[in-house]
Amino acid sequence: MTHPSESVLALYAGKDLGWFARWRAERHLAGCRQCRNEVETFASLRDDLAGQNELPALSWRLAAEMKANIRLGLAAGECVRGEQPAALAWLSGGRALAACASVMALLVAGLFLERPTPPSQPVAGDSAVLRATANGIELNQGGQTLSLLQGPAEKVTYSAGAQGSMRARYVDSDTGNVTINNVYVQ
Amino acid sequence: MSSKFAILLAAVAAALCAQETPLDPYNSVKINLPADSPLTLISANLGESHASFRGSAVVLDLKMALTLRNSSSNRVRGVTLLVAAQEVTPGGKASVSVPSLDVPPGQNFPVRIDLRLLRPGQMGSGPLVQVNLDGVLFQDFSFYGPDRLDSRRSMIAWEMEAQRDRKYFKSILASRGLEGLKQAMRESIARQNDRPRLDVQVSRGRAVSAAAVPEHNAQFAFLRFPDAPVDPVEGWAEISGNEARNPRIDVKNLSSRQVRYVEIGWIVTDRKGKQFMAASVPASGPEFNLKPGSTSRVLQDTALRFSKDRGESVFIDRMTGFVSQVEFADGKIWIPNRESLANAQLLGILAPSPEEQRLTDLYLKKGPKALADELGKF
Repeated sequence: MTHPSESVLALYAGKDLGWFARWRAERHLAGCRQCRNEVETFASLRDDLAGQNELPALSWRLAAEMKANIRLGLAAGECVRGEQPAALAWLSGGRALAACASVMALLVAGLFLERPTPPSQPVAGDSAVLRATANGIELNQGGQTLSLLQGPAEKVTYSAGAQGSMRARYVDSDTGNVTINNVYVQ
Repeated sequence: MSSKFAILLAAVAAALCAQETPLDPYNSVKINLPADSPLTLISANLGESHASFRGSAVVLDLKMALTLRNSSSNRVRGVTLLVAAQEVTPGGKASVSVPSLDVPPGQNFPVRIDLRLLRPGQMGSGPLVQVNLDGVLFQDFSFYGPDRLDSRRSMIAWEMEAQRDRKYFKSILASRGLEGLKQAMRESIARQNDRPRLDVQVSRGRAVSAAAVPEHNAQFAFLRFPDAPVDPVEGWAEISGNEARNPRIDVKNLSSRQVRYVEIGWIVTDRKGKQFMAASVPASGPEFNLKPGSTSRVLQDTALRFSKDRGESVFIDRMTGFVSQVEFADGKIWIPNRESLANAQLLGILAPSPEEQRLTDLYLKKGPKALADELGKF
């Protein structure tokens, strides 16, 4: 299984991915605990950084000076830029719009012909996979999952059945009753 | 239009819309109890249930707190509820069992079901989850229910283990008093804490991924109990690194009664000599007919992958099997006694029975006096 790059996971955590890249990342994350952990780490780092990045309040006078300097810099840039190269002069207005539309049409046609395949399941392709997770038992079948969770139980005993079952046993902290969760795959 | 392209379109639509669709969990769950059920549904609280979206996928978190009443004239010892979500996992189902109960007639008791469903696309209409009663076990071992999950056998075996272990702790209390009981509890808790844990991933259908280690057939060694009605003769499984596939074990019926179910406990030993309880290998159904004196094969078309400590592969060096449960054609069940398990040094490898787990939890939370009172109840 190919994992997304760290930069993709970081952009995903910051909700900065485009829709298609985001869809691809979510398809992968649905079946990859390792990458989910990475995303959570990036998200928590981002929250921490957001707290540290608050700028001190600027005085109005200082802000006005900064604005003036920015305007001066822009005016100076206009003076030294000169005229646009003739080679790109034709690419403006309706022509630019038509070019963008053509590129989009090409991309959509390519996407349709390519028909990107969803990522395969982490272990066994299209077969159903049962596994114990930190929260319970998870059955993953074709990208859809059914999880039976045990809540905040302290000691959980897992056991597997070779006929295609998994069992989690724990004592319910509120009732004191033993509860046995079973998930079966056919 | 192919299903893959439909999924892609749904993902695009979901990304463009990026809106949450409100969903009423009450309309997503249906709880069915038969008209003649010995249990009555008093309440079903789904207060904390909610639906949310993760990109193009929808996640339904169902936190059900059911209150059931024993409407029969017999004490309830165990309940199993079947939880089905056919639209999400067509080949999968789940169950929640509560064994080791002692509910008198007319009394209410709680059952919790905490379920999470994740599926791409939008929710369909109608209930996603159906909760059905699969079985109720009473004090006199009588049973009610459709028994689609073979709950009768499971619950009787749990109840027999409960009686076996209560008898053991009661005998210690009688012979060595409260101090002896405390010592026995400390030993049980230490065993539970020290028991090696193994993460097992189970898959059906196509085999698990190709491993770098070549595959070979490994033979089982067997532990034998003197009073077991079934004897494991020989067995193999295909081993490749930390994966084991297709266990097949020949068993012989030593008893004078026909056997309709045999369960083999499967222990794996890693390359450092550490033993882990890997799985149980059951055999039942019409094709499994073990007449007195005859031999039959326990066979499962499945693949198991073993790991521990957050994904570290456990490479299999040896395998050991033992008969852990037998059901006769008349419905009677055999389980190993406590002495056999202790003599075979299995108490430190196997999980404790549900009742022993409950009793040690009671001891830890309420102390030895409360435990002694509990043992005195029945």
